Amino acid sequence: MKISLIQAILIGVVYYLGINGTPWLSLVGTHGWMRPLVNGTVVGLILGDPVQGCIIGAAINLPYLAFISAGGTVAMDPALAGTLGTALAMAAKVEPAVAVTLAVPIGLLGTLIWVAHMTVDITFVHMADKAAEEGNIDRINWLHIVPPQLFLLLITVVPVALAAYLGADAVEGIVDALSGRPLDVLSAIGGILPALGIAMNLRAMNGKGTLIFFTFGFMLAVYSGLSSVPVAIFAAVIAYVFTELYLKDKNGGLA
Amino acid sequence: MEQTVEPKKEKLLTKKDVVKAFWRWTFFSHANYNYERLQATGVVHAFSPILKKLYGKDEAEMKAALERHMQFFNTEPSIGGPVLSMTIAMEEERAMGADINDQTINGLKTGLMGPLAGIGDTLWQGTLIPILLSFTLPFGAEGNIFMGPVLFFALHWGIMTVLAYFLWVKGYEQGKEGIQKMMAGGQLNYIMSFSQTLGAIVIGSLAANFVKVATPLSVHLSGKESLSIQTDVLDKLVMGILPLGITLITYYLLKHKKYTPTKY
Repeated sequence: MKISLIQAILIGVVYYLGINGTPWLSLVGTHGWMRPLVNGTVVGLILGDPVQGCIIGAAINLPYLAFISAGGTVAMDPALAGTLGTALAMAAKVEPAVAVTLAVPIGLLGTLIWVAHMTVDITFVHMADKAAEEGNIDRINWLHIVPPQLFLLLITVVPVALAAYLGADAVEGIVDALSGRPLDVLSAIGGILPALGIAMNLRAMNGKGTLIFFTFGFMLAVYSGLSSVPVAIFAAVIAYVFTELYLKDKNGGLA
Repeated sequence: MEQTVEPKKEKLLTKKDVVKAFWRWTFFSHANYNYERLQATGVVHAFSPILKKLYGKDEAEMKAALERHMQFFNTEPSIGGPVLSMTIAMEEERAMGADINDQTINGLKTGLMGPLAGIGDTLWQGTLIPILLSFTLPFGAEGNIFMGPVLFFALHWGIMTVLAYFLWVKGYEQGKEGIQKMMAGGQLNYIMSFSQTLGAIVIGSLAANFVKVATPLSVHLSGKESLSIQTDVLDKLVMGILPLGITLITYYLLKHKKYTPTKY
């Protein structure tokens, strides 16, 4: 399948909309949009087959299940993996399982775009400082939105559109070259990658007995086979009881 | 039933102003996200109609207010949102003549943003999103667009936005006393402990279901017998010990060895 220039640019825009905090969909909206499950479907729609895009996007989403971005750090970029990964996988007509192994390295490149965004934006803060000294609030509002978002649009749409437009042939070649052992290695990495998101989540939680409760949840799921929704209900009960007892003890009987 | 209402000073802000600030924050909090002051300009942008209304006629007060809110600010925007709506209540009191100085406002703001970000990220990115995904991803994998991506996006956006709106309005109503009550300990510790415990258990079940590691190793015994390390040894010992071990090692490296996800 050939990706046209207009399709490639639209895919770039889909990626832009999934960057943490772009205003169009609200911050919470970008956190929905950045999931490959969602943006893969949209990319599929652009390429004329939303169902295939959805299937590939769902596969690419697996390693990013527990993805977390906290305190301004982003370790991997599910939005880039989902948009470019789905586009290239559909163009090269590869299986969803292979699409994951292509998308994971792509997702790592997204951190470069994020760092550029977070660094260049500092300039606009310094300009806003000057406007604050003058009491010019309208200028701060303009600096807050227009320059950073134009810059972000540029550094997201251009590389992704180029990669989608020019990359499809290259990807077929890469998949052929990697078939066999290298592809197995990449898919093993895809299987381990959720561990990174989970570990980052655990570190962000950093509470009393986090690792003990984590291990408990793990064992509960492994041996009971329960899915995460019922586990969450049990977990809420346990969290309630633990918190009552723990804080009661700490406050000398006054919970 | 008769109620005695305390005589109150006329408020300067209407509910409409407070709600407007909520939507500005919801959409634009991260428009200029950066390493130096993170959401600082987002705060000013969200507050700007309110600051104009409160200090628009007083240039010196306006400059002071802008300087006050251009300081470093970073929180999880939905559950940490009430920090800002409480700040709005304090700004309003200040404009009405109450004795609230810069230190009070910034002290309460920065004191609360961290703990609420921790609670917010745990409940939102650590618990709600993975649960919703683990429910909708299997539908997506079968190509069911409605039960997969559409349902995930709608549920996630709806739950978080309704929750954030409710907390924002509540935060404004509670105002400074609300902040001080939360800072004093009780409430905040309670929610924190609850969400950390809940989050850790749920994340544990996700690791069990989605981290895939197995060893193909096997040991050849006498004759045609062979012993698969995975099914005959590890699974009998503790099921899932490899994924559990890998996750815990990753956690250890991140926490104690100062590794970062992209640098080692």
